[in-house]
Amino acid sequence: MSVKRQDNATVNRHTVRRILRYGKPFLWWFVLVLALVLIIVRLELLQPAILERATDDFVGKYVDVSAEGISLAALKQMRAEDLRGVILLGVQYFVVSAVIMLLTYLQVSILATVGQKIIYNMRTDIFRHLTRLHVGFFNDNPIGRLVTRVTNDCETVNEMFTSVIVNTVSSVFVLVGVMVSMLQRHVQLSLSIFTVIPFIAVFTFIFTKVTRKLYRAIRARISELNAFVSEHVSGMKVVQIFTAEKPTMEAFENQSEELRKAHIRQLMCHAAYSPTSYLLNLVSIGILLAYGGNLVVTGVITAGTLVAFQRYMTRFFDPIQELAENFNVVQSAAAAAERVFWLLDTVPAIQDDPEAVSMDSFRGHIQFKNVWFAYRDEEWVLRDVSFEVLPGQRAAFVGATGAGKTTIQNLICRYYDIQKGQILIDGVDVRRIRLEDLRRNIGQMLQDVFLFTGNIKDNIRLSEQDITDEDIVAAAKYVNADPFISRLEGGYDHRVIERGAAFSAGQRQLLSFARTLAFKPSVLILDEATANIDTETEALIQDALGKLMEGRTTIIVAHRLSTIQNADKIIVMHKGEIREEGTHQELLAKGGMYYKLYMLQYEHGIEPVA
Amino acid sequence: MQRQQKKKRENIFRIFTSPYARQFIKKYKWNYLIGIAILIVIDVLQTDVPLIVGDTIDAMERGLFTAALVRAQLIHLGIIAVIVFLGRIFWRWFVFGSARKIERDMRNDLYSHLQTLSASFFQEHKAGEIMAYMSSDIEAVRMVFAVTVMMGMDTLAIGVSTLYKMMTRIDVRLSIVAFIPLILVALTTTLLGGEMHRRFTRKQEAFANLADFVQEKLGGIKVIKAFVQEKREWENFDCSNRAAQDANIKMARMAAFMFPFMRMVAGFSMALAIAYGGYIAILGRITVGDFAAFVQFLNMLVWPMAAIGRIINIMTQGSASMKRLETILHAKADIVDGPGAVSRGIPAGTVEARDLTFTYPGEDRPVLEHVSFTLEKGRTLGIVGRTGSGKTSLVNLMMRVFDPEKNMLYIGGREIHEIPLADLRRTIGYVPQDNFLFSDTISANITFGDRGKTQNDVVAAAKAACVHDNIVDFAEGYETMVGERGVSLSGGQKQRIAIARALILDPEILILDDSVSAVDTDTEEKILQHLRETRAGKTNIIIAHRISTLQGADQILVIDEGRIAERGNHEQLLARNGIYADMYHRQLLEKMKREEYAL
Repeated sequence: MSVKRQDNATVNRHTVRRILRYGKPFLWWFVLVLALVLIIVRLELLQPAILERATDDFVGKYVDVSAEGISLAALKQMRAEDLRGVILLGVQYFVVSAVIMLLTYLQVSILATVGQKIIYNMRTDIFRHLTRLHVGFFNDNPIGRLVTRVTNDCETVNEMFTSVIVNTVSSVFVLVGVMVSMLQRHVQLSLSIFTVIPFIAVFTFIFTKVTRKLYRAIRARISELNAFVSEHVSGMKVVQIFTAEKPTMEAFENQSEELRKAHIRQLMCHAAYSPTSYLLNLVSIGILLAYGGNLVVTGVITAGTLVAFQRYMTRFFDPIQELAENFNVVQSAAAAAERVFWLLDTVPAIQDDPEAVSMDSFRGHIQFKNVWFAYRDEEWVLRDVSFEVLPGQRAAFVGATGAGKTTIQNLICRYYDIQKGQILIDGVDVRRIRLEDLRRNIGQMLQDVFLFTGNIKDNIRLSEQDITDEDIVAAAKYVNADPFISRLEGGYDHRVIERGAAFSAGQRQLLSFARTLAFKPSVLILDEATANIDTETEALIQDALGKLMEGRTTIIVAHRLSTIQNADKIIVMHKGEIREEGTHQELLAKGGMYYKLYMLQYEHGIEPVA
Repeated sequence: MQRQQKKKRENIFRIFTSPYARQFIKKYKWNYLIGIAILIVIDVLQTDVPLIVGDTIDAMERGLFTAALVRAQLIHLGIIAVIVFLGRIFWRWFVFGSARKIERDMRNDLYSHLQTLSASFFQEHKAGEIMAYMSSDIEAVRMVFAVTVMMGMDTLAIGVSTLYKMMTRIDVRLSIVAFIPLILVALTTTLLGGEMHRRFTRKQEAFANLADFVQEKLGGIKVIKAFVQEKREWENFDCSNRAAQDANIKMARMAAFMFPFMRMVAGFSMALAIAYGGYIAILGRITVGDFAAFVQFLNMLVWPMAAIGRIINIMTQGSASMKRLETILHAKADIVDGPGAVSRGIPAGTVEARDLTFTYPGEDRPVLEHVSFTLEKGRTLGIVGRTGSGKTSLVNLMMRVFDPEKNMLYIGGREIHEIPLADLRRTIGYVPQDNFLFSDTISANITFGDRGKTQNDVVAAAKAACVHDNIVDFAEGYETMVGERGVSLSGGQKQRIAIARALILDPEILILDDSVSAVDTDTEEKILQHLRETRAGKTNIIIAHRISTLQGADQILVIDEGRIAERGNHEQLLARNGIYADMYHRQLLEKMKREEYAL
């Protein structure tokens, strides 16, 4: 991962262009949103103008009549025109406000909806891409981090659309609109008031920069404290047994205090900034009253214009703050985008060959020809491995941990590609068989059975809707899983929680058998569990296994002597090479490694499990 | 519905009436009073600004606009600016600063209380749940003590002062007419705020579901690939993805409605001010300056009105959080010193179990049944048995991690409940099964039970645990950080550091709970040899799966399904040809198999 989070990292132009590509299908919606923003800003600028007209045309005219002491009724009659006019302006203001509300609602809703659709598309792309990646990728990249790519990072990237683009445009519109409206009224007065803008801008940018740092410090403290709590809560037993409550409490209080101090720093920074903008607001009012007042008195501008100016001035602050914040958003969105695109650019190591052949089922002839394989560089895990398993045969692999038994299984299913040699199924190189057909026809059972949250049925059929409830029950019955499932609350609809933590190792095995059988594979690959399983379940498993293997080519990593003895072919692996190969009797007669092993076991009088 | 409303109201005030909260109010009373006083002063001062503008405009209209007036008005503005500037800094410090202190105090209280709770509490409340209390619930309460106080006072001060000035200085009827729509703003935030919060919660849930989904599927990616379910999972993902999208859109629509709506209402207010204000201005009841000031006053009122709804929402959430926090704070520590517990020094290293039977709370089958044995001081007891047979439960009871019934366990000849907890636990040095270490330096981990130990003690303990050589190999030696932010130790290294942590206390009773399983056999032999030397005359209890670990014990208990199935020393047990002998032979075979392959 080459993603650096630097403060002033220049945003990669290519990354931005790539982000924008996600917005392309919604181009016209964006155009509409921007058009709406334009109209809204225009309408908002109209509001002070209405106020100005009300002041000048009607309210301001009171002076010349009030002095004359006419009766109220006469006054009403005399100025009926003006009264109607001012009410009309009120109505105008009312209508403008209502239209702004409607358009704003439309604009924000459209933008949010479009933004969510972009996130949706991005998430779909990432998740689909993740499922295409080879198994090895998930060993190198912590899953938690990948989840963040799908969840948080997408949202951050999306800010680019929802905040940056629209907010920038709208902020600039407002700022320019306000300035133009003011300049139209009086250039010099406007310019003198604009002198506060650089101060606002500078203060705001300094503030956002400082707070960003302070917030980062706060987040770091929070995660430290969280780590402390989560660790000490899990290790509370140790804390209590070692009677270390007091020093631990002190350490906690320290961290707690550090966090408070970090918060206070941010608090004070904000406390200094927020009144500054108020201060500048008052400064601009001062300028307005002193300079603008003079202009009113000399008749250059009207009182209404003064009121309008004052209203316009209050609108400097938000856009500048918004622009300052966008600067941050762009940075973090670009960083998130780089992480996301790095993931999307990871090429799946295992893909279908363009000329891959489709195979409906396998006869089950498996052949390794001088296979060399390494997970990394030249650290060979398999060296020149060759063997052949005929259709319907059972081949048992024996050897110490790390001998390469499990690797052989992974290679048959093509989770990795080999460096040298060939692996053939029914005479076809596995690299030339459509991945889907290859894996569909091979039933692989892992040592650790992975159960998903959901119910028992879901765990047998996975997401394959073609497998009916009847199929599930039939499969479960066949592999002896039915009795224990039926005893569960809700039977086949029993909820599986926390990855099946409530099930014993034996029960998990049986479930995995049912799952495999439901998919009707032609070849069986099995990694025998070494876990402690009670004798009763063990017998069920053995019986089920026998039935599963019937008529199917089976490749099995064996730990139980009975499984080994019943195999058609035993392959003894040692450090990535095949040491011996043959049937039980042949290997015993040979007097080699297998023989020694067997004799050891026999001498100690341990009965092979029946 | 009616009742629910009423209930909600009760809850809201709970946050200020509960004794726990009142204690904070009392503690930071002066800070709050000063902060609030400052707040009120500057709020009232701020409401002078529209009047200054209005008066100046009137002066212009009436030809009274002189240099002296301008100077006076500018000075007035300047004074307001300085006081408000300083006041805003200070009230923040007093009010928000105190809220941060309350937050810290609450966090400390909560953690301190957690330390007194027993294992059964932590079985029920997982770390994730406790973290939620620590972060979001405390934050919700802090919001009440910070934002609500500030907003409440602000609303009150600005609201009252503005309304008062509008009515007295401008026009009563105009004020009332223009103010009425603003009540709608308060109503909107109050009524829609709750719905907004619900939608927000739903959005968060959908997000969490999505994250869980991806987490789980990626965890089981191998199964998905083995059964070629990738495309099907795309469809499943689509559901979660769409749900997240919809929840987000719903939330956004609400926000898209609420804020413009409030602005529209403010606009209505202004429209009324223009129409009616203009009307009465024409009729000479108010001046143009009054009109200009009035418009500004209206603007100042919008925010406090919107705040009312937020205050109610924050208080509702804060009260709910306070309630949750109180359930933890009131959770009773169930393993405490009994009434008869008197300190009579550290008990001696003898252990006796008399027909010990124990059932975990909430379970119906006992984990231990009729277990009786006597362990003399200076002897070593070995315990073997399958996973789940009750070995760890037995030592947990000795340390009162869980509480045995009366008269079943005796340590140093005293009934276990008569020994103060601190004494009991100081008698015992424990090396846990999961060799739990903390993210701290190696040295700090070893001295975890006694910070007063010297570096020499640390080195001696590390040597006895056969981990000294490994430690000095690290660049920073004993100061090396353990865990995520430091070196990642191997299982064996962790176990040996955990052993050193127990050994340094030189306890009367040392318990090794399957603690050398990740250590290779040669090192294990060395450690056991060291134990025999350094622990002469002290009592040891060794739980192990490997027979080699405990075959030298004076007495070995074979525990099966909570009962002692066999007992005796190594030779006696082998002669019995039972479970123990069977395990022994199996392990011998495994060992030979390994050696054979290693050829």
